[in-house]
Amino acid sequence: MLVDIIKKMIRVSKSMTEDRLATKDASKDFVHKSEIFRGKHEILYDVCTGCDACNKICPVDAIVMKPLPLKRPNKIPEVNLAICIFCGLCEDVCPTKPKALKLSGGTFDMRAGGAHEAQDNFWVRVDVPQDWIEKKKEEERKKAEAAAKKKAEMAAKKKAEAEAKAKAEAEAKAKEEASKEAPTKEDNNG
Amino acid sequence: MEAIRKVLEKYDNEYVEDYKPTWLKAKFTNPNDLLSIVQDLQAEGIKTCSTVSPTDFIDENKIEVNYFLEDIINKKNVWLKFDIPRELEACKIPSITPLMPSANWHELEAYSTFGVKFEGHPNLRYFLISADYYGKFPFRKDFDWKAHEQNLIQNIDEITSEWLDEYEENEKTLPKDGSKTILHWGPTHPASGPIRLKVGVDGENIQWVDPDIGYVWRALEHLVERKDFIGSIVAVERICFMDNPNPMICYSQAVEEIAGKEITRFAKLMRVVLGEIGRIASHLISMGGFFGNAGLHTFVMWTMDVREYFLDALEEYSGARIATACIEPGGVRYPLRDGWLDIVQKAIEKYESSKDEFFDIFINNPLMKTRAVANAIISKEDVVQNYMAGPIARASGVKVDVRIDEPYAGYDEIEFDYVTCENGDIYDRLHIFFKELDQSMDIIKQAIAKIQEGIASGEMNPQKDHLVRIPKKLPAGEAVTRIEWARGEILMHLVTQEKATNPYRLKIKAPSVNHTMVLDELLRGKTLSDIPLVYGSMHICQGDLDR
Ligand code: SF4
Ligand code: SF4
Repeated sequence: MLVDIIKKMIRVSKSMTEDRLATKDASKDFVHKSEIFRGKHEILYDVCTGCDACNKICPVDAIVMKPLPLKRPNKIPEVNLAICIFCGLCEDVCPTKPKALKLSGGTFDMRAGGAHEAQDNFWVRVDVPQDWIEKKKEEERKKAEAAAKKKAEMAAKKKAEAEAKAKAEAEAKAKEEASKEAPTKEDNNG
Repeated sequence: MEAIRKVLEKYDNEYVEDYKPTWLKAKFTNPNDLLSIVQDLQAEGIKTCSTVSPTDFIDENKIEVNYFLEDIINKKNVWLKFDIPRELEACKIPSITPLMPSANWHELEAYSTFGVKFEGHPNLRYFLISADYYGKFPFRKDFDWKAHEQNLIQNIDEITSEWLDEYEENEKTLPKDGSKTILHWGPTHPASGPIRLKVGVDGENIQWVDPDIGYVWRALEHLVERKDFIGSIVAVERICFMDNPNPMICYSQAVEEIAGKEITRFAKLMRVVLGEIGRIASHLISMGGFFGNAGLHTFVMWTMDVREYFLDALEEYSGARIATACIEPGGVRYPLRDGWLDIVQKAIEKYESSKDEFFDIFINNPLMKTRAVANAIISKEDVVQNYMAGPIARASGVKVDVRIDEPYAGYDEIEFDYVTCENGDIYDRLHIFFKELDQSMDIIKQAIAKIQEGIASGEMNPQKDHLVRIPKKLPAGEAVTRIEWARGEILMHLVTQEKATNPYRLKIKAPSVNHTMVLDELLRGKTLSDIPLVYGSMHICQGDLDR
């Protein structure tokens, strides 16, 4: 009994000299950080294909697709962090490699420009640089031109082929007819 | 089983068939047979109702009512089905509550959400939803949620005035002299959580208790119908934050059963590990919360400290600590990364180094014991009658554990036995959690050993084996799955239609419903100071109570 009490007293006095457990300010620093912590999204506008898969699977409709004046991607996701539940399903379904939308490994600090100023602070907006859009547009135009050219070429080729075929057919027909006619003549003759 | 089959075949039926080893499934043609069927089944030992689950088949203009009845001692269960008309006036079926008290609140829930009238129910009333709920019967397929929301926004003042009416009513009916009054325990009581116990007292003696629930009703069962099969996990996991992975296991099993897919052995064992981590995290809060309810907050801090280590493990695995979304149909969601098993090991060591102190200072606490021992006893008969589930039943010495009764995931490979206590008093309902923690640690160790063996022998590939593909579209079908959750049995009934991309109906039965139902019985005749202790010992979580 006495030994017990002394033991306990020693234990208590020991714990008083121990370091405090909470040595980190959790509002600034991770106490524990996993490599795949599901935090704030990162969206790579130059990888995204605008396939809409992330928007479709999002269980709480936190994703809004922002339209772009491009063919591909013609829209790009933006995430409302006030609604998002950080389930990570959008990342799972994103078909690109590397993932155009990623939240694992993201940061937990989601305040942008001061806390709670406006709901807008809780959006992951994507800044798509204007010159990138222009460049992409240009590329697309060139591509489209090239495609059109190719199409035109193909069409011309097809046309030529078709003409050649028609000609050949006509010739063959003429020949056939000629050969048909010939025996009749012969018959007549006979 | 044969005797039960004979009973069922006696009545006009469409079919009686085997379903899983422990179930018989039968569809009957005449709803008026229900009471005599139940009476006959009771004679065969089936004395407990797990839940009642209506399904609204709007195209066929009928509502199908499913009853899940269990013999929790001999592990024989039946699943009864009846078709009733959909029109509100004709939508009725006899109530089985007078025969099986465990069905009481489940019938109320079915009435409030589907409008099925249970004739002969002792107190049929609106439940979960308020009496002035606009549009009534929210789980019917033709319920207009938009209109409901509109109404809510417009009439919010009138809706909240129901409270004032209740106070006025009490003013009138309660005697002016004497010490009788009605107290509200919760929803803002530090120990209550979002539930309100209306307590009728005479002085400090409790005369009756009427739990008012529904404060955190999110209509999860309906939300699931709006999501696809994968996205549904985020609704299912939100049943309760304390034990996160297990409900997802239950739901995923149901989807896999309908899709006809078998998951890999690796995924099964991972489900065991994750499920047990969830159980441990929940048990630690429950134990701490018990003391928190009684006003001693030191122990909560201690258990929370240990719990953080297990949450670390969940975060390392999935990227989130509480809402992990770590299990999806087809297996477990993430591959196993190097070193994860060591983190789990570390958490177990942390617990094992603290548990002696836990026991010495808290579980063996003489002051707590004076208040808890031989107080609010739940007998074995009560367990069967009111369907106390999981740890609450085991504290009374009843051997129930779905992990053993109907093994799922990788539990058939693990060696373990029922842990029980004897007396079923408040103290035992705390002590059982402490005992179960040891068991869970042991189960995790066994599962980890098997995973490591499998990886070493090349049988398992931790990078690839975690998921098998589940088709986006499922065939028409239905499945019933059960799991042992931290606080008892969860039963899910999933219905799909042809080429379905989302669930047609998901019924979730959670244990806290029954555990709250018996509070009245347990607390009558006790004093006010017993409320936190009894309430804490039932380990009720409003998340799964309301859903
Ligand atoms: S993490 Fe989940 S909730 Fe958030 S945007 Fe992605 S899918 Fe939506
Ligand atoms: S982020 Fe990924 S999933 Fe979403 S639209 Fe872009 S490519 Fe598709």
